[in-house]
Amino acid sequence: MQLLTGLVIVVMLVALMRALMPSRVLVPAVAGTVSALVLLVVFRQDLAGTEFWAGAVGFVAILSALLVVLHPSPMVSVLFLILNLLCVSLFYLMLSAHTLGALQVIVYAGAIMVLFVFVIMLLNLKAEEGLQMGRGLQRWGAVVFGSAFAAMLFWVLRHRQGRPFIEPPRFVEGFGTAKDLGTLLFGEYVFATEAASILLIAAMVGAVLLAKKRLD
Amino acid sequence: MRIDFFLVMAALLFTIGCVGVLVRRNVIVMLMSIELMLNAANLTFVAFSHELQSMTGHVFALFVITVAACEAAVGLAIVLALFRRRQTTDVDDVSLLRW
Repeated sequence: MQLLTGLVIVVMLVALMRALMPSRVLVPAVAGTVSALVLLVVFRQDLAGTEFWAGAVGFVAILSALLVVLHPSPMVSVLFLILNLLCVSLFYLMLSAHTLGALQVIVYAGAIMVLFVFVIMLLNLKAEEGLQMGRGLQRWGAVVFGSAFAAMLFWVLRHRQGRPFIEPPRFVEGFGTAKDLGTLLFGEYVFATEAASILLIAAMVGAVLLAKKRLD
Repeated sequence: MRIDFFLVMAALLFTIGCVGVLVRRNVIVMLMSIELMLNAANLTFVAFSHELQSMTGHVFALFVITVAACEAAVGLAIVLALFRRRQTTDVDDVSLLRW
């Protein structure tokens, strides 16, 4: 755990140094690399643990999600969203959902994000404005309700009264494989699958119609 | 592996996406934030699916991905049509149907 904390602190310090002295790029980069390498050598036994890797992927996921929201240029946001989707697919692999992890990379990071990149390049957008924070009552209402929502979320997670945790076997036979997923999709959930196909066709027709030159 | 870590991650990602929808005024970034939220919901589905050792959560995550694909296609088509007509992607410039 010390290694992860140290690396997070190093990343934050490097970002802070970059912000404080934008002219000297080399100093924070060299200092960050050296201190990260020292940390890696000193706490190298942490590298074998699952916690370190899960935490590192989680850190990258949160950071990239924040950059998606905060970066002024849509092109950069979409690239960070792809990074975030790849991190989530690593989470799926940790939860032994192999098929879904692969589908996440192929369908989400591959197909859907290509659509986003394509449209952003087509539109030729400028990097816009800053953030729009709202005024007066709206802002304070957002702060109050947002912190209330976050507090509720974490309270629920802390006081979760499930059945006692049974350590599930790491790789149950067939759990998360394409065969099992397909059996469920075309067995128990066959109606939902057909409905999804109709939905896809409707969306495709709608998209083609909306993107036509003249809308009438 | 306890799934609490993944639930906290999903909660954080969902909150960030929600803030993105509320704070940004660019339609494309808002659509991306919606994708973030859908992903957080998916992560919760898969985490509970792992804890209960039942594949149903995976099936629902797959359907969520399908719906996200449809939503992205239609949403981006609307953005294209909007940009062609108004030369903007700012939601504040498109307020005809708003109260």
